[in-house]
Amino acid sequence: MDVKVNILRYNPETDRKGHWEEYILEADPDERILDLLHKVKWFDDGSLAFRRSCAHGVCGSDAMLVNGENMLACQVLVKEVSTPIKIEPIRGLPVIKDLVVNMDSFFDSYKKVMPFLVNDDEPGERERLQSPEDRDRFEDTTKCILCAACTTSCPVFWTADTYVGPAAIVNAHRFVFDSRDNASKQRLEILKGVDGAFRCRTAFNCTTACPRGIQVTKAIEDVKRETLTIN
Amino acid sequence: MKVIRHSFDGVIVGAGGAGLRAAIEAAPHMKLAVITKLYPTRSHTGAAQGGMSAALANVEEDNWNWHAFDTVKGSDYLADQPAVDILCKEAIDSVVELEHWGLPFSRLENGKIAQRRFGGHTVKEGEAPAFRACYAADRTGHMILQTLYQKCVSMGVTFFDEFQVLDIKIDDGVCKGVIAYEVATGDIHIFEARAVTFATGGFGKIYKVSSNAHSLTGDGPGILYQKGIPLEDMEFYQFHPTGIYRLGILLSEAARGEGGILRNKDGERFMERYAPSIKDLAPRDMVSRAIATEISQGNGAGPNNDFVYLDLTHLGAETIKQKLPDITDFVRTYVKIEPIDEPIPVQPTAHYAMGGIPTDVDARVLSDANGTVLPGVYSAGESACVSVHGANRLGTNSLLDIVVFGKRAGQSMVDYVSSTKPMTLSDNAAEDLSNKIDKLMNKDHSLEYSVPRIREELQNSMEENAKIFRTEDSLEKQTEILADLRDRYQNVTISDKGKVFNTELLEAIELEYLLDMSDTTVASALHRKESRGAHSRVDHVERDDVNWLKHSFAFKNGDSVKLDYKDVELGNYEPKERKY
Amino acid sequence: MKSVKRTDWGRRTPPIGGSNFELYAWFFMRVSGLFLVLLAAGHMFIMHVFNDTLNLDYEFVAARWDTPYWRTFDWLLLTLSILHGTNGLRIVMHDNIANKTSRQLALYGLYFTSTAFFILGTYVLVAFVREV
Repeated sequence: MDVKVNILRYNPETDRKGHWEEYILEADPDERILDLLHKVKWFDDGSLAFRRSCAHGVCGSDAMLVNGENMLACQVLVKEVSTPIKIEPIRGLPVIKDLVVNMDSFFDSYKKVMPFLVNDDEPGERERLQSPEDRDRFEDTTKCILCAACTTSCPVFWTADTYVGPAAIVNAHRFVFDSRDNASKQRLEILKGVDGAFRCRTAFNCTTACPRGIQVTKAIEDVKRETLTIN
Repeated sequence: MKVIRHSFDGVIVGAGGAGLRAAIEAAPHMKLAVITKLYPTRSHTGAAQGGMSAALANVEEDNWNWHAFDTVKGSDYLADQPAVDILCKEAIDSVVELEHWGLPFSRLENGKIAQRRFGGHTVKEGEAPAFRACYAADRTGHMILQTLYQKCVSMGVTFFDEFQVLDIKIDDGVCKGVIAYEVATGDIHIFEARAVTFATGGFGKIYKVSSNAHSLTGDGPGILYQKGIPLEDMEFYQFHPTGIYRLGILLSEAARGEGGILRNKDGERFMERYAPSIKDLAPRDMVSRAIATEISQGNGAGPNNDFVYLDLTHLGAETIKQKLPDITDFVRTYVKIEPIDEPIPVQPTAHYAMGGIPTDVDARVLSDANGTVLPGVYSAGESACVSVHGANRLGTNSLLDIVVFGKRAGQSMVDYVSSTKPMTLSDNAAEDLSNKIDKLMNKDHSLEYSVPRIREELQNSMEENAKIFRTEDSLEKQTEILADLRDRYQNVTISDKGKVFNTELLEAIELEYLLDMSDTTVASALHRKESRGAHSRVDHVERDDVNWLKHSFAFKNGDSVKLDYKDVELGNYEPKERKY
Repeated sequence: MKSVKRTDWGRRTPPIGGSNFELYAWFFMRVSGLFLVLLAAGHMFIMHVFNDTLNLDYEFVAARWDTPYWRTFDWLLLTLSILHGTNGLRIVMHDNIANKTSRQLALYGLYFTSTAFFILGTYVLVAFVREV
């Protein structure tokens, strides 16, 4: 079948601002949105820029705005979206070219929340023990692939260019609720400022956008409550 | 073209499991840079699912010798046994170390790391399937990648994200650094470094149906091959039995480890005929061959009889949700069926390169079949061939390989850097690369010589002629096709002439690596007149230990491939017939 | 062709950490919200259900304010609603006014207005003396 696809194009070397381009593509309903982008790039306009790698929703490269919602282009099939299909870069981060945005500040925010296990106790020669129940407490947030779909769907993030964003809080959550970690207090101290977890207004856009099905808003609420508990 | 200079002691190319593990080892002792063409967390280590084997004996009695036996037997006796011993012995500490760094393994009731069964892993040298694979649901690779990256963040390791290394500088047999292309700006960067580790992963994109990411184009092996370094055991390419039909997306062997069953169109559990003792948990080469055989005998399902079923329906919703959440999600997303109620259509998918850059057990790159070390150059992970996987890798051993030999690569870099002085590169070091780029940029675009056209023909023909079953005829035919594609590649053109995020340019350069990988795979396969592990010759069905208990080394010889051989290092286990 | 520098594209990174103010503000919104529901419901029932607003006169208000209980009730309603509302508007301004100077101006305006209403309301409540 023929599918009409509109892509928001922008080339910093020739354009002053973005413009829409329309493509009519022969596509199978079972194909991924990513396959459509490849058709454009490989057989129509080689200059179309987008990130992609694994093509099955685990590497987190190809988060983009499809018909107004954040998703991974490799995780959604043509038959699941209405036509014409509108594809734009994710919002709130500066566009480099076409569907590629600058991720630097996204990763800077991630790095600020101490996203690593802190435990200076001598662990011994074998593994630390952890009960399945303790392991389950942070199961949901271990799934994060840092695709930025949540952060760039957040209305607070769009306007407040200093908010750490849901992804950073999710990655703090992953360690705050890990029974092996000793730095919860420091992480929560980091997140209690005006640009931290309390900036979340529970719009739930992040939870809808997460391609891994993480309950992002719930994780942020958990972090807020834990901050209250330790103070 | 703008050229920017950097000076480091060591550079690691690739930020998957092996690269990050090497970085953790090396970073405290030198000025180190990790260069990756993606962001580190996008690396394909993250797509690994089932587990990482180590004889922890958390579930039942186990020891690393049994693991080593299984690995050697799984390799069809082509693995170098001293290297396998290192792999299996160091596995235990490697898993524990990852746990100490925060890896969220699934747990047993007593709090220890949970372990599951996996293909080819047995207790007491073949008695019964072993619970050896340590796992975190079915996203073990994701957790390893995240944990290693987190550790690097905590250490403040220097990363160059979205920089693609396209050249290495070796003067008088000594490594001096690498040249990289900055994807976002088109600038060229000279990295002076006397120790360079290639951890660039595999090259599954030489095939059409593949579990590999688009980025897996054999960059590391390609760069070294073009400099005259041989590639070892390239004929051994693993096809994973259970890729989603047509898409090739991986469905972990853990599905069968947890009790999943393969069935043909009649619902028959056909693996009972091919591997009576361990059935569906036979090694991947055997299961893939069994599926291919079923399909060729008309026992495949579907209108074209070209797939079989992976049946999980008897496992129960709870087990599936707890232990196989991701792969069942893939099935729901891409096939639109509910795996709790319906069997899943699967077919073998190109998955893992046992071959690659030859290294010794310290990850030092070897420049010939006599074991000559190339000073300052290292490789680990799928891009390397130690060889611990021989002719067929066992499931879970790749995640093990990246941490065990990634660590060793890092240690070797430290040793080398501490005993040598910094190297300098002149400004014209980038000339070869800028000429290559200029040539592509200045040529007018023509569709006939476009990258996707040539690549598509390459992938389709490799799929047809050099996949699971090979014959002299099919390989010779493929050799001709590759020669033709190589000719066309000389005139390859691109339409994007910009500097910013010109991924078409990079795809053009990567295509040359894919051609190199295909050339060496086909040439090595054509010359190996036996069937061993993943290499099945229909015209030479028997394994031939008298003539072929040796590793192939494929060298670049103009536009053709020259072969040399090296004897396999044996150890405790004498080659025997491989039955399960 | 325009030359492109990677650093041109940055977004500001968060100045992270700080006092407990946001934590307490967040908690206050929840607690005050709960109280306000009760107080406002009480206020509504008294003014609109048990009595008819058409019948309210000076005598009705003055009679209520004869007791310190009703003065406290109304003062709590005044205080909590002004604090709750001001904090809500502060949040809206933080989220939606990107320019720092404009935001500061708006915030000062808000604080001034809120304080003025609070003082005025409190003054009326405290200083009210019944004219016989």
